[in-house]
Amino acid sequence: MSTVGTMKDRVAEPMKIMRRGRAALKTSLAVSALAFLASCARDAPQDTWQPAGPNAEQIDNLQRPVFYVAGVVGVIVFVAIGWAIWRYRDRGQAIPEQTHGKPVVEIVLTVIPALILLGVAIPTAGTIFKLAKTSDTEMTINVTGQQWWWEYDYPAVGSNEEQYGITAPIVTSGQLVIPENTKVLLRVTSRDVIHSYWIPKLNGKKDSVPGRVHLLRLEGAKPGIYAGQCTEFCGLSHSYMRMEAVVLSRADYDAWVANQLEAYTSPAAGTLAAEGEGVFIQQCSRCHQVNGLLNTDGTPIISAPDQYMVSGVAPNLTNLMTRNTFAGASWDLLTPECREDVWKSDSVTFGAKYLKGVTTDCLNQKDLREWLRNAPLKKPMYANPENLAATGGKYRGMPALGLTEDQINSIVAYLLERK
Amino acid sequence: MITTSSKLFYGLGTLSFVGALVWVVAHDGSSLGSVALIFLAISLLFLGGIASYVRDGHVLSTDTAAHPSAPAAQSASGNSWWPLASALSLGMVVVGLISSPGIFKIGIALSIAMFGEWMITNWSDRASANAAYNEKVRGWVVHPLEIPIGGALLMTVIVLSFSRIMLSVSTVAGPLIFAVVGTVVLAGGSLVSVRRGVSKRLVGGACAVALVALTGVGLATALNGERHELVEASEYDHYAVHPCGEEAEEYDEEASRAVSAKSSIAATVIFKDGELYAEMDGFSEPLTSISLQRSYDLTILFRNESVGEHRMILNYGNVIEDLGGGVTRDSKLQACTALIGEGGQQAITVRIPKPSFASPLSPYNIVVSGIEDSSIEVSVP
Repeated sequence: MSTVGTMKDRVAEPMKIMRRGRAALKTSLAVSALAFLASCARDAPQDTWQPAGPNAEQIDNLQRPVFYVAGVVGVIVFVAIGWAIWRYRDRGQAIPEQTHGKPVVEIVLTVIPALILLGVAIPTAGTIFKLAKTSDTEMTINVTGQQWWWEYDYPAVGSNEEQYGITAPIVTSGQLVIPENTKVLLRVTSRDVIHSYWIPKLNGKKDSVPGRVHLLRLEGAKPGIYAGQCTEFCGLSHSYMRMEAVVLSRADYDAWVANQLEAYTSPAAGTLAAEGEGVFIQQCSRCHQVNGLLNTDGTPIISAPDQYMVSGVAPNLTNLMTRNTFAGASWDLLTPECREDVWKSDSVTFGAKYLKGVTTDCLNQKDLREWLRNAPLKKPMYANPENLAATGGKYRGMPALGLTEDQINSIVAYLLERK
Repeated sequence: MITTSSKLFYGLGTLSFVGALVWVVAHDGSSLGSVALIFLAISLLFLGGIASYVRDGHVLSTDTAAHPSAPAAQSASGNSWWPLASALSLGMVVVGLISSPGIFKIGIALSIAMFGEWMITNWSDRASANAAYNEKVRGWVVHPLEIPIGGALLMTVIVLSFSRIMLSVSTVAGPLIFAVVGTVVLAGGSLVSVRRGVSKRLVGGACAVALVALTGVGLATALNGERHELVEASEYDHYAVHPCGEEAEEYDEEASRAVSAKSSIAATVIFKDGELYAEMDGFSEPLTSISLQRSYDLTILFRNESVGEHRMILNYGNVIEDLGGGVTRDSKLQACTALIGEGGQQAITVRIPKPSFASPLSPYNIVVSGIEDSSIEVSVP
């Protein structure tokens, strides 16, 4: 019996190993296929393989050949390893003669990678220096990160003023608006923790560090919207810290600048929006600045976010409805249909559609109202008044204001006029 | 034969060589960095050659008869202090990182030296089966570095100690001490040169005692501080001046020493030939109007390139304080540098809480005290 048992074992063991091998092979193939298919997204707004400006193209021109070379090397290495494992697997054979070193092989295997690395290093260094060039800047914008949104500040100095008509500072957030084929230099920094600014289709990423100003070139070759995402973990709502770069034709850009510089107009008396202006002054202007908003004595209302916020600022809402997003570009101000209409439009019609801003029909009422009802419920923030001891009572993000539905209705009506 | 450890040196040497080529390409033919990298490459290849020559101290695994006498089988010459010294050096790097750039740099230099010594000692301990030869090999490699660096450190200790003593004693005692010490050194040297029979041990002992005494007195005087005239002069320059008046903020001296060294400068303000202008990253032209961010720790560097001493003043609005009882006080918000001499510079760090349009009657600007017709307009959105 024991002999039969031993015979059975001898037959069963290789079968078991073969079955396990097949299962492992199937699993590997399935995982590989999934990974391969996952990389086939057709409409990926943050696809680094679809450059839309000269800076991103320079990176693309470098990364493609490097990727191909790395791919070929990877395949060769894996095939060689696989072959060696299979060919020299343990079959109970005698241990072969042990030798130490093979100069010819070692020299070849040292020289070939060195040459490949040299071939990669030279164009890489060249690209790095090209991307760091700032002497040909045509427009300068300050970009400041804070938990969890980006502020864009267009200084009214130098070429900004002389060539692009920015006669007074423009402050906006969520969407960076730049003219096409213009060498824009971003002065990137942060007010609280380290963030990282990245619009993949326009250039590589750049860290925004408190106390430091880092320079990043950006240039869009054709009108459109290009999405980005903070790429340095920066706290609770890091994943909600998004950004979009909007590229407009020069004529459309001039129209955008002119609109941003227009003087503030109060809503018509007796309207819901006028009622909303009052609620806004009471509830929102403590942190949010709306340029031109006046006290009853005619003095300007100056927000004081430095008293309430860790970062010391909150988004300027002067022209909120000229943007398509809010709350750190996490949600759209446009309904999905209207958003798609803008995003999918061709470069000729894009500018006109974008400059229309947010109309009553296109306003994404659902998300905006949810935000006004209870912002921390929608976007995780350190905004619980009971847990602010560590920050001296200051918030990181918008707290729940406890607004009534009537107040929300009036604020929405007021904000709809902020164009 | 390419041995295991020689691969490391050959690889690093090749990398340095490639780095030198990349440097030349990337820096339009600039040679400074490439020369350093080529020297590094040659040094590493040389070390690789040594490793190959001594075969890492190994013998063939099949030559079992040679195993007991193989270099790798020999015990090390004794306890090594280099790991402890390396750890202490790394500790100094960490301390320097949070306290002082000087300590950080010294820590880096010491770490490199200690790790190098450790590495070379480990290698030389097993360079051969002969301990005496190993010691000699170690000397060949490290003495050309140890002796000059040790000499330089010794000179540094002597000069620093002597300078601390001279800064501590009075202006009358200083020249006397200098004369006496100089005379003693000269006399001692003359005696030694005349009496050739004097033992080396005696001369070495006398020098060691003098060094210990000098270092001890230097350390004591350094802890005691400089003489009071120097302290007062320093205080007068940096603390006794209240450039913006009683209500204004004083500049943050710590910021000018530390923050400015680590942070980017938001704007460099230059006063030259009676004109005031600013330079900012991203703007190629000199600016007479600048935009600064709100609620942000800005570091502004003032550089005086005019004759005489001048002070920069940043005006950033006003603040109304409630003094109670219905009484308020309207104070100007200002940040100022100290008086800066020609060619000097100072950084101030300031956070501007309100936008510039918040103070229509008190415009934000940068001026130089006493100069009426030149200013920089400051916009804070």
